Amino acid sequence: MPWPQQIKYDSGAHLLVITYDDGSQRQASAFHLRMNSPSAEVQGHGGDKPPAPVGKENVAIQGMEPVGNYAVRLLFDDGHDSGLFTWQTLFDLSAEA
Amino acid sequence: MVDKAQVNAVLDTIIDPRTGRSIVAMGWVQSVHVSEGQIGVVMEVPGNLASGAAPLRSKAEKALADLPGVESAQVVLTAEREAKPQPQQQQSPAAIKNDGPTGLDQVKTLIAVGSGKGGVGKSTTTINLALSLADQGLRVGVVDADIYGPSVPMLLGLDGKPEIVKVDGQDRFVPKQAHGITANSIGFLIDADTAMAWRGPMVQSALMQLLKATNWGALDVLLIDMPPGTGDIQLSLAQQAKIDGAVIVSTPQDLALIDAKKAMTLFEKTEIPLLGLVENMSGYVCPHCAEVSYPFGQKGAAGEAEAKGLPFLGAIPLELAVREGSDQGAPILTREPGSPAAVAYQALALAVLERMDLVKPRPAPTLIMA
Repeated sequence: MPWPQQIKYDSGAHLLVITYDDGSQRQASAFHLRMNSPSAEVQGHGGDKPPAPVGKENVAIQGMEPVGNYAVRLLFDDGHDSGLFTWQTLFDLSAEA
Repeated sequence: MVDKAQVNAVLDTIIDPRTGRSIVAMGWVQSVHVSEGQIGVVMEVPGNLASGAAPLRSKAEKALADLPGVESAQVVLTAEREAKPQPQQQQSPAAIKNDGPTGLDQVKTLIAVGSGKGGVGKSTTTINLALSLADQGLRVGVVDADIYGPSVPMLLGLDGKPEIVKVDGQDRFVPKQAHGITANSIGFLIDADTAMAWRGPMVQSALMQLLKATNWGALDVLLIDMPPGTGDIQLSLAQQAKIDGAVIVSTPQDLALIDAKKAMTLFEKTEIPLLGLVENMSGYVCPHCAEVSYPFGQKGAAGEAEAKGLPFLGAIPLELAVREGSDQGAPILTREPGSPAAVAYQALALAVLERMDLVKPRPAPTLIMA
């Protein structure tokens, strides 16, 4: 996996755009990231997965926090902020731009 | 007449044995000045390699003076002392959280010393490594992250509450000094016999205060004496501090190596570069007949390092004087600097320095809200 150099949120398009050190770019919508957040709120605690969040089509990201050297915390405008997106998770959840 | 290209060609033959690269290739040569047979060179060396730079300087100077047509050659050494670069985060419309100023701002390198298993001599290794690094001319601090079982106060023979100063309008601890290094520990704040009956969140916040609300000042290296395990404390350190590298301590015993492997996995997951493995309590030298026996087995950590493709940083022998010094607050390095263990710690410091220069963490990406 290439190493991310920049993570930019485009609040007009509700898109997270990741630029990697090999020059490639990938992107993911706030909606897709919200639905697939690695948080236990979404993924469950190892047993059954909780029901998928509903009505999140227009969710936006309103903030980002660095987490150590390995992840970013995305703050969604519906109050969901417990997902720590590692560089690998972001890579897996995004598609080539 | 000598020109700059010739000077550079000569400088390119001066190789640092620790990295196998020339001073030019490492980018140390900051400026070259040639006029009328007089040569002036400024060499800027990263702080962590400063100690070995002096012989390279004189070697370079001599090589330049030997060039035909050169009357005098002067090579000046400056150690790079700038603080750790602040993460480049652009403040834009929406919030990107960024820590305000902390006591860590002028700390250049943050190294975690972890083990996974307890009782392998991690704190003793941390302190003696810190002292050996200080011997190399570095400014070194130690933060005792073992909130439940702080050992640093006893190891350094320190006690009493740290003073508080105001910095940037915030209260900061003044770290204590012993044997030329600075240290802070929860052990300074509580009675030695008091158990910290604290839940996770309390421990985390205490630890972050020790780390960030201590007025460390300008340090080349701050060693974090990690508590054993791979749980809450280790994870929150990885999340809230930018750690530049990790040293893993283990005994040669399989039982300890299992946990050492877990500790390595945690550092890998959180993108903290592993500097290598140290084998502690390696062999016991009989004080009567000098025969070496291996109570915890032989070469366990070295084998594990090899299996993982990691450097083996060194083996510290099991010596009575290490234990005695630890309990008396007189670390072996200051008590018996010529003993086998002290010599092993000095070699360990050199191995760590070399790795620090070669292994740099990749910077976290810039976060932008647009």
